[in-house]
Amino acid sequence: MGMSVTVDFGIPGLQVAQGDHICAFYRGLRDRDRVLIPYLRAGLAAGDKCLCVVDATDPETVLAELRGHLDVDRRVAAHQLDVLASQDTYLHAGAFRTDRMIEYWDGAVRSALCDGGFSFVRAVGEMTWALRDVPGVDELVGYESRLNRFLPLHPQVILCLYDLERFSGELILEILKTHPKILVRGMVTENPYYLEPEEFLAARR
Amino acid sequence: MTAAAPTPARQSDPGLRGQLSNLRGLLLFSVLMTECNDETQIAHLATSSIPSLGTARLRALYIEGGGWQAFDGPRTEPALRQLEAQLHSLDGVGGPVEIPGDAWSWAYALGGGSASFLVVGAVAEPSTENRFLLQVLAQETGVTMANARLHAHERATAKQLEETLRALQRSMDIHKRLTQVAVRGEGQEGLAQAIHDLTGYPVAIEDRYGNLRAWAGSERPEPYPKDPAPKREQLLRRLIREARPTRDGGRLVALARPRGDLLGVIALVDPNGDCGEHELVALEHGATILAMELARLRSLAEAELRVRRDLVEALLDGTDDETVQSRAQGLGYDLGRSHRVVIAEGRGRTRDDDDVFFHAVRRAARDLSVGTLMVARNGAVLVLANEDVPWEDFRQAVLRELGGGRCRLGVGGLCERPADFARSHREAQLALRMERSRSRADRATRFDDLGVYRLLCEVPDLGAVERFVRDRLGGLLDYDSRKKSDLVRTLTLFLEHGGNYIATAEALFVHPSTLKYRLQRIRDLTRYDLNDPETRFSLQLSTRAWQTLGARREEEEVLPPPAPRAGRPAPPSC
Repeated sequence: MGMSVTVDFGIPGLQVAQGDHICAFYRGLRDRDRVLIPYLRAGLAAGDKCLCVVDATDPETVLAELRGHLDVDRRVAAHQLDVLASQDTYLHAGAFRTDRMIEYWDGAVRSALCDGGFSFVRAVGEMTWALRDVPGVDELVGYESRLNRFLPLHPQVILCLYDLERFSGELILEILKTHPKILVRGMVTENPYYLEPEEFLAARR
Repeated sequence: MTAAAPTPARQSDPGLRGQLSNLRGLLLFSVLMTECNDETQIAHLATSSIPSLGTARLRALYIEGGGWQAFDGPRTEPALRQLEAQLHSLDGVGGPVEIPGDAWSWAYALGGGSASFLVVGAVAEPSTENRFLLQVLAQETGVTMANARLHAHERATAKQLEETLRALQRSMDIHKRLTQVAVRGEGQEGLAQAIHDLTGYPVAIEDRYGNLRAWAGSERPEPYPKDPAPKREQLLRRLIREARPTRDGGRLVALARPRGDLLGVIALVDPNGDCGEHELVALEHGATILAMELARLRSLAEAELRVRRDLVEALLDGTDDETVQSRAQGLGYDLGRSHRVVIAEGRGRTRDDDDVFFHAVRRAARDLSVGTLMVARNGAVLVLANEDVPWEDFRQAVLRELGGGRCRLGVGGLCERPADFARSHREAQLALRMERSRSRADRATRFDDLGVYRLLCEVPDLGAVERFVRDRLGGLLDYDSRKKSDLVRTLTLFLEHGGNYIATAEALFVHPSTLKYRLQRIRDLTRYDLNDPETRFSLQLSTRAWQTLGARREEEEVLPPPAPRAGRPAPPSC
């Protein structure tokens, strides 16, 4: 896929571009699923590899929600859909490390593209794990900024989910600086507050 | 990958570009705050974003009407009062405040004309750019909070309106269904069923004494429980006092009280006590409909009673016209049957209550199918009997209903047409009086069985009877009158008991020697030989005529004769 290729987000009338790193803000679990479920459903319907990491609920809850519309179990068996828990990904071994997580994404995406035969990967991560009291969670905004360097490497799109009811304003303002696009009020919009990784990371040093 | 487009500012001045970026970020942040729609969350987002805007830190967030939403440091009363006083002095406009430990502190007004402030402080005064960002944050927070408050108010209003409409709709449904019950005349059973359908709770309708009149719903208790009378009266008094549905154990009870008369109650069986407003409205409407229904039934009963009474009175007065026939027809009563007028006199064992006696006669008449037309008059009950029954059995049935006491009956002759009732009535009265004068014992006396008395009663010329009595008993009557003695009655009972001294003395409640003395006095005054059969027959006829005369005199006193007669003998007393 070229950079100009648009991707059906799953919400009627909403499309994003290949390589987008999108930050979606929601309030509570019901609101989360209004974004998450259509996003995954559209990806599965389009034949994309879907990688999903959840934190506030277990993976089975998401699979159960998807089962109402698609033959989810067959797609899980065919490795089109992976729904994982944060403790097995972001917080593997009880701590967060930026390098390890980006390597994880890179490995998973390469495997899907090369071994799985998929031509496009859509990933989504529920970020409330960063509110836990575990080592490395303070690397969150740096990690988000570095993801912007990883996105152009493969035909992919990544959606980061932030619960407005749980994150502080200070963290949200930082997160805003690391996402070129945001999804708010059912619309994906360019983020004028966004800082390129070089600038953002340099400012933090 | 998408990135922010380069701007002229980025190329010309990194400081200005950063400021612009911060400003845009803040505007985007205000969009996110708007998403929250909740003042607490907005406050949390706004206050927690302050460190991103420079060196200033949150000191307090004060919302007019909501108080302190955030406060840095211990919330001691003096500290809060001190800062609050400073904020009040700002009069809704931002300005500097003094906070211990801060070299610079400022209260930014949230705007909108309210005295709400975001208070920040720093060890040194922040740059102009940072202060500008703080001001924008405060204003955006104020706007967002005002919107959230407005939305919350709108939501509350809409919810309230929705609830009001729902309650109105429910009330209309209740009104419609219960009106249907009243219009269709579904009665108490229909009313209980309707309330049950509307509420889902079992419904009981009871009379004022606690007897079940109608039930709807499952689990009807068998036998139906009934409180003792004092407890029931206590509940009714409480219901009257409270004037609204009231809880009584596992039931919610409302009173049906048309025009202040207490006629019955309606109850929702709700052992868990979870009846709501909807059930309460249904019960109140139900009590109104029940009151109407009971008032209607009572009005009907009263009207029927009135027509019955009028019919009986007219018949006893001897009326035989179209009015009597049409009244009987209206009641569905067959006047073509043979009747007798029966008069019952008496009283209960313990209570001198005419109502008690009347209802005892009514129940006995109903049980023995004697008749249904009756009226109370002068302490007696007059029954228009349409069946000939063993009248002593009827008298005993009345005594059973009374639970003891006294009852004597006078039974008139047959009536074949309406005009006969007055005669039968007179005969029943005479039978009763004759019995009263003849015996102290209570019994049922048929006019038809009076024998010679009946003959004497039917002599049209009362003067001839009087003359007959005076011819034989004049001397004794005058003596009794003069001496206040009781010789005529003594002679009467002596003859009625076949000359038996012992039986006569017992009937007179006197000693046998007193009786012998009186009889000797009678012999001395009259020179009659009381052992001569002819004399005894003649005297017995005379004493019976004397008794008959007394009864007829009594009748005349009730219905005075056309002209007074002179020289009457005194009527007998009994």
